[in-house]
Amino acid sequence: MRRSVDLGLLFSRSGNYRLLSGASHAGALAAIEAVNADAGRTVAFSPVALDPEGRTERYAPLCEEIFRTSTARHVIGCTTSWSRKEVIPVLEKHGGTLWYPCPYEGFETNEQVVYMHACPNQHLVPLLAHVVPRFGADGFLLGSNYIWGWETNRVARDVILDAGGKVLGERYLPLGDTDVERLIAEIRATRPDFILNNLIGPSSYAFFEAYGRLGAEDAHFTPERCPILSCNLTEIELPAIGPSAEGHLSVGPWFAPAGATACDASSFYTAAYSAVLVLADLLEAGDAASADGPLGFAGRTFQTPLGAIAIDPASQHAHLPIRIGRVRGGRFDLVESSPALVAPDPYLSRYDPAAHFGRPPLRVVS
Amino acid sequence: MTRRERIPNLGGATAFVLHRPHPATSTLMRQLGAIGLDAVEVWPELPAEALGADFCFFDADLGFDDQFPWKAGEAPMPLIALIGSEAPGRIEWALAQGADSHLVKPVGNSGIYAALLIAKRGFEARRALAGEVESLRARVSERQTIVRAVVALSAGGVGEERAYAQLRALAMSWQVTIEDAARRIVELEQGVRREHPVAN
Repeated sequence: MRRSVDLGLLFSRSGNYRLLSGASHAGALAAIEAVNADAGRTVAFSPVALDPEGRTERYAPLCEEIFRTSTARHVIGCTTSWSRKEVIPVLEKHGGTLWYPCPYEGFETNEQVVYMHACPNQHLVPLLAHVVPRFGADGFLLGSNYIWGWETNRVARDVILDAGGKVLGERYLPLGDTDVERLIAEIRATRPDFILNNLIGPSSYAFFEAYGRLGAEDAHFTPERCPILSCNLTEIELPAIGPSAEGHLSVGPWFAPAGATACDASSFYTAAYSAVLVLADLLEAGDAASADGPLGFAGRTFQTPLGAIAIDPASQHAHLPIRIGRVRGGRFDLVESSPALVAPDPYLSRYDPAAHFGRPPLRVVS
Repeated sequence: MTRRERIPNLGGATAFVLHRPHPATSTLMRQLGAIGLDAVEVWPELPAEALGADFCFFDADLGFDDQFPWKAGEAPMPLIALIGSEAPGRIEWALAQGADSHLVKPVGNSGIYAALLIAKRGFEARRALAGEVESLRARVSERQTIVRAVVALSAGGVGEERAYAQLRALAMSWQVTIEDAARRIVELEQGVRREHPVAN
């Protein structure tokens, strides 16, 4: 007899970031379907899906509603860090667990949250380590005026200095702002080796397009000479950017293999999909049956679309592969792949500049 | 220009948690591990090794002065108070220990990383300030020495202003503070030193 388990889904299907949250929602649903269709499974999930419509203040009440109106104690959900921080008090009150399937800026380990996507030592640091020897160490940092941009750029400043480079500029746009002309002018004037793009959604799309036009006027600003680097760009946003994304770089635990046809294939999809499989394995092992006890991650690996992954029991962040991809024809060509899973280090406590950039360069001390 | 803190690298830092074993601190121990610290729980006394620790958490509810191998207010590392009872007497005691930040019990999932960084910054600022006060105090107490050195140097008939300029020139050529230079001159004057000051 199969055990039916309510499973909360809390993804926005409208609003600014619906492309990303929609992909995670679809991934979770597809995994639920796969689990339910798998005759070898002893659990089956019934989804309890609520839609916060991209409004941050809706997440906590809807999470509360999931816990109040169903027996669900696990929720796959949230895309932005704001929404994740909003639901944490609700999770703590109900002893629930959130499975968070998106890259984020790190510096958090909450017992009520399982972090299924990359943190900075799994996205930003390896991306810069790949780029600096190939393109140079001087960067221009961009971000949306929001914690993702602030914190990712803050770490980037240190990493760039460690690599012997300079930060030639750091600029923020209000969320949703598409007026990028000033950014382009400053980038043109400072001539960096690369641009770290932590803009979100429409701001990012507008920047790619304007940068493409700049490259047509000045050959320094082509992806071969001065690429745009993103830590959260996936297949899902490439159609919105169009041909100007071509040749630029991104990092993530997974990129769609050549020939993949699913239109929502992206790591936002696969991370949510993987979260459902990991949860199913835990439930079958009886480790997640009690909502109060710690989840039984120790000593286990899980077969998922991200590969055979593990979850660090202390920080509840995933050990993940790291892939660096270059956009080509609406998908990513892999330009680098980690040989093994990379352990999470959400507080960058084990960050060692020498491991990435060799001997630290001498600096003038004033 | 203000100096910006780098990525705070807490990996491998050591923390002593001075608290009786209690479920209230299990989250704290787990979170410290997740952040990358080596944390040790001890009660009721801090061992001598604690003197070399990078952080010390202490129980503000049941704590007492004799638990610490240092005098109240002289901890050689950042202190973080674990506060359960908010009785003013207990807060007063925690402050007297020199708590640089605090966490409210039961310790939850959040706030620990912030408490570490705030305590670290507060401790460093306090230590830097104490060093500066110490050196200013030492310099103030040398005021009389400077007066005596200027008097000694102006004995050759040069005015007080030139004598002072000469003292500064000596301090510069000896690469010492003006107070140290003054002390040397006074000592020479008194025949304690045998060398001769040479001003260029």
